[in-house]
Amino acid sequence: MVFGATLRARIREAGLAYLLLLPSLLFLAAFTYWPILRSLWFSFHDVVLGDSKIIWLGLENYQRLWGDRLFWRSLGNTVFYTVLTIPLAIACALLMAVALDSKLRGMAIYRSAFFYPVMIPSVAAGMVWVFLYSAGYGPINQGLRFIGLPDTAWLYDSTWALPAIMVMSVWKYSGYFMLILLAALKLVPSDLYEAARLDGVSAWDRLIHITLPLISPTLYFVVIIGLLHSYQIFDYVYVMTHGGPADATNVLTFYIYQNGFQYQDIGYASTLANVLLLFVGGLIAVIATVFGRRVHYLGR
Amino acid sequence: MAEVVLQGVSKAYAGRPTVHAVDLTIADKEFMVLVGPSGCGKSTTLRMVAGLEDITAGRLLIDGADVTHAAPQKRDIAMVFQSYALYPHMTAFRNMAFGLLKTTDLGKAEVDRRIREAAEILHIGHLLERKPNQLSGGERQRVAIGRALVRQPKVFLFDEPLSNLDAKLRTRMRGELKRLHKELGLTVIYVTHDQIEAMTLGTRVAILSEGRLQQVGAPMELYMHPANTFVATFIGTPEMSLLRCAVRPEGNGSLLQHERFLTALPARPDAAEVFLGVRPEEILISQSAEGITRGIVERTELIGSEALAEILIGRDRVVARMPISEAPESGEEVSLTFDFGRARLFDATNGRALTSI
Repeated sequence: MVFGATLRARIREAGLAYLLLLPSLLFLAAFTYWPILRSLWFSFHDVVLGDSKIIWLGLENYQRLWGDRLFWRSLGNTVFYTVLTIPLAIACALLMAVALDSKLRGMAIYRSAFFYPVMIPSVAAGMVWVFLYSAGYGPINQGLRFIGLPDTAWLYDSTWALPAIMVMSVWKYSGYFMLILLAALKLVPSDLYEAARLDGVSAWDRLIHITLPLISPTLYFVVIIGLLHSYQIFDYVYVMTHGGPADATNVLTFYIYQNGFQYQDIGYASTLANVLLLFVGGLIAVIATVFGRRVHYLGR
Repeated sequence: MAEVVLQGVSKAYAGRPTVHAVDLTIADKEFMVLVGPSGCGKSTTLRMVAGLEDITAGRLLIDGADVTHAAPQKRDIAMVFQSYALYPHMTAFRNMAFGLLKTTDLGKAEVDRRIREAAEILHIGHLLERKPNQLSGGERQRVAIGRALVRQPKVFLFDEPLSNLDAKLRTRMRGELKRLHKELGLTVIYVTHDQIEAMTLGTRVAILSEGRLQQVGAPMELYMHPANTFVATFIGTPEMSLLRCAVRPEGNGSLLQHERFLTALPARPDAAEVFLGVRPEEILISQSAEGITRGIVERTELIGSEALAEILIGRDRVVARMPISEAPESGEEVSLTFDFGRARLFDATNGRALTSI
């Protein structure tokens, strides 16, 4: 009897849990899982935006992608962007966080100042940086002229356009990462640093051997979040360069957008999206395997 | 030789003083315990010795050298923290080796030898490859002590190292610390709020209250001859009972007048109002009427082989200790007398000890 009552209570509890989960599950299904399945299905077809005629192509889209020079270019750009932007942003964030993790006066003001870029909408931030980078009257070029260096049309130069977007991204991301890392730093017990100080361990060794291992779970989280952000980069490219000049800043998401909404080739755009998903998923799996094992969780 | 001298050492936070001009000398190989209630400034004083807190005023000398403003690592000290402060991501071995490898020229073989030696002394040889989360509280404590030992510093600082352990383990670790101090001849400054720990461990004990040093002395000296009512009531469990009395000159001596009793004193204390301080074992009770006063037993507590009785004498409450067979019942009226040979008097206006009776 008691067992039956317990079982009934558990079923009731589980039922309630599912009921509460249902709204978000429905949303996820409608706006995430269904589109993923749909895009997988599209990738095997010739689908034109606004045209109800769908033609089966099999693996043709995937074969086309293999020989698509622009796909490889945009993938290369995306990887280049990620590989430099994320470590740089994390390094800057870590430096800021360590500097801000003190009890000195005015730290709240600095914290807000460093976090400020995060609060600016990306389109607005992009516009500001277009102005900063602009040839002639742009403050950056004015500064360069002042120290006797030549003008550069940063966003119109195929060598500098992508690095220019990367610099802006580091500025935008690092405040966000800083705040997360700062929260992690605050959790490291201060007596560990004191013990190390008494031992005479240098500030650098304290950072490398105590701070980094102890905030590694957060660092790991920031790397994954950064990776996901960087593969979704679209807005800055759209606002600042539109993928140019000569596809120098064309990244995968922008190329997907071009195929889907400019050339209206939904089938091929879906193929690219699926490849991107696989690529990012694979990369995260690799990072989780390599980095995840080294993460030390405090208190465990 | 590792003498530590505090000369008028003071600490103020944002202009608010927390430690007032502490003068204290810790001799070489001495086990000095700083004891006092929470917030009395004992940990702050220890942290000033460690260099983890700036010294606002005064001087600190270690081994004759002025280290008042020296960085912690220049003071040649090691500290064991209340929380142990073990690096959670390192094994016990690595915890002990880390400081040595990073800051000394000692070869790996020497580091290894020192750690094995310390591990043997502390009986943690089999735990060296474990991380702190795989160790019990007592084992972590040993590793933390080991980390201090391998440094071979001039002075060892302990900041409430046993307060996270259960009562049984605490007693065992107390014995261990005493043994280590004796065997290795360490100079130790030890902070605790636990007066039993202070009394059992310290060669000498320094008592602090509200940032002021109240008394320094050997444990029994503090127990027998407290300098003031704070020390008198802080040291000893249960605490010393204080009875407010008036002093009236009488011939060469004086009369001590409590609201419930009057007794003659051979001496004439230099105060009009005094506290008569009696420890639980200095109160003798009997059911017959031969005592100097009578009191009502409020509560009796059995603590193993002995009993404690709280007795109300007028408005004052005293605690007496007696064999369990002689324990009175609650509510019972008993006759009391005090062992005036051991009782002491304190000036009621400032709490300072007067001559013993």
